[in-house]
Amino acid sequence: MSKIIKVDYLSRVEGESGFIIEIENNKVHRLHLNVFEAPRFFESFLIGRPYYDAIDFTARICGICPVAYQMSSVHTIEKIFGIEVESPIKALRRLMYCSEWIESHSLHIYLLNGPDFYGIESAWASKDYLKITKKGLAFKRLGNNILALIGGRSIHPVSVRVGGFYKLPDRKSLKAILPEIEKAYEDTIKEIKWAAGLQFNNNSWDTEYVSLSHSDEYPMNYGSVSSNKGLNVSMKKFLTAIQEYQAEHSTSLHAGIKRDSSVSPYIVGPVSRLNLNYNKLPPEIKAAMKDAGISIPITNNQMSIIARTVELSYAFYEAMRIIKEYEEPERPFINFTSIAGEAVWITEAPRGILLHRYEVDDKGNIKACSIIPPTSQNLGHIEKDIYNFLQDNIDSSVDFIRKECEKIIRSYDPCISCSVHIMRL
Amino acid sequence: MKKPRIGVFKFTSCDGCQLSILNMEEELLDIIDFFEIAYFKEATDKPLRGEFDISIVEGSISTEWQKREIVDIRQKTRSLITIGACATSGGLQALRNWANLSSYKKNVYPQPDVIKALSTSTPISDHIHVDYELWGCPISTYSLSEVFTSFLIRKKPGMPKYSLCMECKRKGIPCILVSKSEPCLGPITLAGCDVLCPSLNRPCYGCFGPKEGGNIESLLIQFQKMGFTQKDCNLLLDKMNTYAYRKVRIESVA
Repeated sequence: MSKIIKVDYLSRVEGESGFIIEIENNKVHRLHLNVFEAPRFFESFLIGRPYYDAIDFTARICGICPVAYQMSSVHTIEKIFGIEVESPIKALRRLMYCSEWIESHSLHIYLLNGPDFYGIESAWASKDYLKITKKGLAFKRLGNNILALIGGRSIHPVSVRVGGFYKLPDRKSLKAILPEIEKAYEDTIKEIKWAAGLQFNNNSWDTEYVSLSHSDEYPMNYGSVSSNKGLNVSMKKFLTAIQEYQAEHSTSLHAGIKRDSSVSPYIVGPVSRLNLNYNKLPPEIKAAMKDAGISIPITNNQMSIIARTVELSYAFYEAMRIIKEYEEPERPFINFTSIAGEAVWITEAPRGILLHRYEVDDKGNIKACSIIPPTSQNLGHIEKDIYNFLQDNIDSSVDFIRKECEKIIRSYDPCISCSVHIMRL
Repeated sequence: MKKPRIGVFKFTSCDGCQLSILNMEEELLDIIDFFEIAYFKEATDKPLRGEFDISIVEGSISTEWQKREIVDIRQKTRSLITIGACATSGGLQALRNWANLSSYKKNVYPQPDVIKALSTSTPISDHIHVDYELWGCPISTYSLSEVFTSFLIRKKPGMPKYSLCMECKRKGIPCILVSKSEPCLGPITLAGCDVLCPSLNRPCYGCFGPKEGGNIESLLIQFQKMGFTQKDCNLLLDKMNTYAYRKVRIESVA
C-alpha cells in the first residue's frame, strides 16, 4: 500500500510553504517540508552598508517579529563597539519585546492556531469562535499600542538606535496605558485555563529544548544558551555547538546540536523557554498554571498554545512592572565611536532564539553578516515530529494525516519569511 | 446585496503589510461584515476559487513562477490594489537589481545552484495594470480602511500625493534638515506615515517612497553641501524603495 499526502500551500502560517509525504509499504519513504518563499538575500545586500542600516533592514525580514530583528542586531553592534546601555534603556527594550510577544502570540493563539482546536477554517468562520477572536484581537491591539508608544508604529518601528533610542517615549502616555494593561493581565491569567482545556493528541517524545537562560529574568535580550540536555554555552559558542545535517527522509539541510559523533534536532520557541525558565515566572502565573493542571516540562509541541498563553500573560505582567518602575534616563542614547570588530548576539524572538553575527570594518561598514532565525532551526524538528506521528498513524486516511500534519506544523508558529535564511555554518 | 469578494495575495515580502489587515483589529470585524474574505492564506484555509472584486497584493515579483501567477490574478480581478514597498517598488530585495545575482546567491546559500530567483525584484505595476497603489514599508492601517471604505461608497481613495514636509510643518515639528543638518528625505517622500521619524528626532528614511515629480537631484546637491558624499547620498535612496527613488531621480534630472 502506498499513498502520497501533499499540501501545496499551507494556510494560517506566516509565509509560503507546503509539504509532501510519501508512504510506501507502511513506511515513510519521503517527508519534506517545502519552503517556496522567494529568497531575498539580506546577508548579501547588507555588505558594504553602514552598521546602523542593519537595524532597519533586518526588521524587514519579518513583519510579525521586527522587534526581534532590531534587538538582535542592535545588541550585536553594541557588543562590537563595547557599548553597555543604561538600565532604563534596557527596560524600555524589554518592554518593546513584551509588546511584540503580546502581538505575535495573540495572533497565533487566537487567529492562526486556535481555529485548529475548533475544527474551523478561520478565526471568523463561526459565530461562537468569533467571541474568542474578539478577545484575541483586543490583546493584540494592546500589544501593538504599547509598541507604537515606544517605536512610533507596531510594524517596523523606527525608534531603536545604537546606544539607546532616537527619542524616549513620553512617561505620561506610558502610565496612561497602564490600567488597560492591568486589565489585560487579569484577563490573560484566566486564558491559561482555557488553553490548557483544549484537546491535544498525544505526540510526546524526548527531545532537546533550547533557549536563552538568565540568572535574574525570564529571557529576552540577555543570557546564555542552555538546554535540558546539559547544553550551557555563551551566545558566541552556540555557533560552534550546532551543525547542519541531512536527515535520511528529507532533502533539505537541517540544524542540529553536535554531540560526540552524532547531530540531533532541537527545538526553540515558547515551549523551550517555558520548560527551561519556568522558575523565573511570578508566583501568580505559576499558581494559575497549577490551577489549570499544567505540568512542566511540556513534551508535546501541540501544547505550545498553552506555553504561548502563559507567555502572553507573563508579557502583560512584565509590561506592567516595567512601566511602574520606569524612570526616564538623562539622555535617550549614549555617545560612542564605531570601531572594527565582530560579534554574535542572540535574543528570544516570539518563535525562539534569533542569532545575528556581524563583522564591521574601521569605517563602520558591514563586512560580513549571518542571521539564523528560529524557524530555520525548527525545520528539522518539525519533520521529526511529523515522522514520529506517522509511526503511530501510518494506516490512517490521507485526509486525517494531512489535517494532523498541518496542525503539527502550525503548532510551531513557523515564520517562513524568516526561514528562507537557510543556515550556513 | 452580494458581498464583494476580497482576495489577499503574497509575493516576495515580509508579510508585514498583510499583517496590517489583521492589525485593523476591531475594524477587521466590520470588514468581515461588509466583504467576503474569499482568499487569504495567512488567515484562512479557503482554497483559491472564482473571481475577485478586490485583490490586495503584497510583495514584489522576483521569480519566474510569480510572473505567471500575477497575470492569472489580474485576469480574475476587478480592482487590483498593491500594498507596501515590495509590491509598489520592488522592496529592499530590489537592491539586487544593481548587483550580481550569482555572487548574492553564493554569499547566502550553501548550494547556490538550487536557488531559483530572477536577477531582479520589480514592482507589480511593471508586470500588469494596477488600479491603486498603497505606499509604505509597511502601509498604514488607515490607508487600508480608506481603500475598503472608498470601494463601498464607490469613490477614489484619498491618499496624500504631497511630500512629508507638508505634514511635518502642519505638526509644527522643527525641520531636521535645516536646524540639525541631518539628511532628511522628507522633501522628496510621500506623506502618509503621520511624520513618524521626524516626530522621533530622526530624519525620514523614505519608507513611503518618492513623491511624484520630487526634485531628488536638487536635494542631493543640498546634502553634498552639508558634507555628505555622493556615495552617502546613493545609500540614502537605496533602501526599501530603491527602485522607485532611482526612477524619479532620473526623471528629475531629465
